[in-house]
Amino acid sequence: MKGAKKAVIAVRKSCKARGTGLSHYILMSKRSK
Amino acid sequence: MRRPAARDVGGRSRKDETAPSRGRFINTGNGPTLQPIDIGHSDYMALIDPDTAFWSLVRKDQVGKVLSEGKLLGDYRRKADAFAAEMRKLRFGLKPSAVYFNPTERCNLDCRYCYIPSEMRRHGRHMSRERLMEAMARLDSYFEATLPKTMRPQIVFHGAEPLLNREAVFAAIEAYRERFLFGIQTNATTLDEEAVSFLTDRGVSLGLSLDAASPAVAQRTRRTWDGKGVFDTVVKAMRRLRGYENWSVICTVTKENLRHLDSLVDFFHAEEVPTCLLNIVRCTLPPSRAIKPGDAEAARYFLGALERSHELYRKTGRKLVVANFANILLAIVAPAARRLMCDISPCGGGRCFFALAPNGDLFPCSEFIGIPRFKGGNLFQDDLGDVLKSEAFRQVTERKIEAIDPCGRCAIRHFCGSPCPAEAHEMNGGMSRTGAFCEFYEEQVRYAFRLIADDRYGDFLWDGWDKGMKDTFIAAS
Repeated sequence: MKGAKKAVIAVRKSCKARGTGLSHYILMSKRSK
Repeated sequence: MRRPAARDVGGRSRKDETAPSRGRFINTGNGPTLQPIDIGHSDYMALIDPDTAFWSLVRKDQVGKVLSEGKLLGDYRRKADAFAAEMRKLRFGLKPSAVYFNPTERCNLDCRYCYIPSEMRRHGRHMSRERLMEAMARLDSYFEATLPKTMRPQIVFHGAEPLLNREAVFAAIEAYRERFLFGIQTNATTLDEEAVSFLTDRGVSLGLSLDAASPAVAQRTRRTWDGKGVFDTVVKAMRRLRGYENWSVICTVTKENLRHLDSLVDFFHAEEVPTCLLNIVRCTLPPSRAIKPGDAEAARYFLGALERSHELYRKTGRKLVVANFANILLAIVAPAARRLMCDISPCGGGRCFFALAPNGDLFPCSEFIGIPRFKGGNLFQDDLGDVLKSEAFRQVTERKIEAIDPCGRCAIRHFCGSPCPAEAHEMNGGMSRTGAFCEFYEEQVRYAFRLIADDRYGDFLWDGWDKGMKDTFIAAS
């Protein structure tokens, strides 16, 4: 743990959804990021 | 006349405007729902709104104060509609942009957990080069009409073993490389120098498969039709890919290799594998159920392997990202950034991607290729738009977690998704059932929250994972 323990921690980020993978495969492409 | 609901999440109203509640209090009336969850951390517990996937970690000795003083609640109230909309878009608003394309029914291996029926793999047919190119042209036309010009759809050649039909697959990649992003999931037994050169020169994303760091354990599950292992061949292919960025290795976790995941992580890291998936076995077909590990045992060894990957990172400065776990972390900190669409409900099958069998038959996902009732149509005979709306596809695309017990009352339902519908249907008796595992996902989510509490979670994600993302909620006080 870095620093003192905070009372509340929350993180949420957003972006355009582009998920297309299934558990049998994940696209690893720099161009797809 | 009844006024429309203010928000609709998964078919249910989050706020019923006919109820005279201003939503002032948590967990009553129209107030926000924040379920307290034990994450197994010495100092923190989680508060989660299951519908919006909003969460916060609160120090155990501060929970009462945080909830009664109201700053967190006030901040969340201002964001709740946007978070609900984000989840609605993710769950119901996406269009297909990827195809899992099986160019052959055949495979030269007889892996024990394969979801494609063995008769098909052993005696099946290849798609002809002409037919494959016709399929590509049809898919190109479809995506041209449905996707924005800025978005390139994906074709993932999948199996059975796609490289058994190598000439046709390579011809398609060459002809359509500017139109699609390409990937291949292969058992790597025919991934020779020439193939690696062709594919890496064209930036094709490659997925290999290997289940253990030793030949003896690896061949328990992955072997030829006459029972021989392929460990050495796969490792040679992995070494040909060293230094290439766009590749990964899938390990299917079963009770045959569960106790060896630590050594596999060591091995992958030493071999400079950039990304791996340690996927729990899918139990769609009966043979895979014979090697299904129990949830608790699976979680114990899986989390041990994650810790090992972290130790290696701290020691060497080089990451081995375990992508299926990274995806759960992303589902928590940036829901729309998830790459894998199994762990969300509805899953990606039939709505983010679909699967194409070598005879042109279309299924919501590769997992359904061996189950005829999930055939939604045929690429060469039917309109793709109609297929996506077919009863076969809707069985999958309309499987919502709110209708599954106990998921409908589970706080982490949008971090898990109760995968997989094929398992639920074939193994557990219907779409309203859970998949094969539950506690395994509970433990992963709890572990993910512990990593966040200890500010270690970034170590388990790709470098630059949040590039281009916008912060929508930050609390650290």
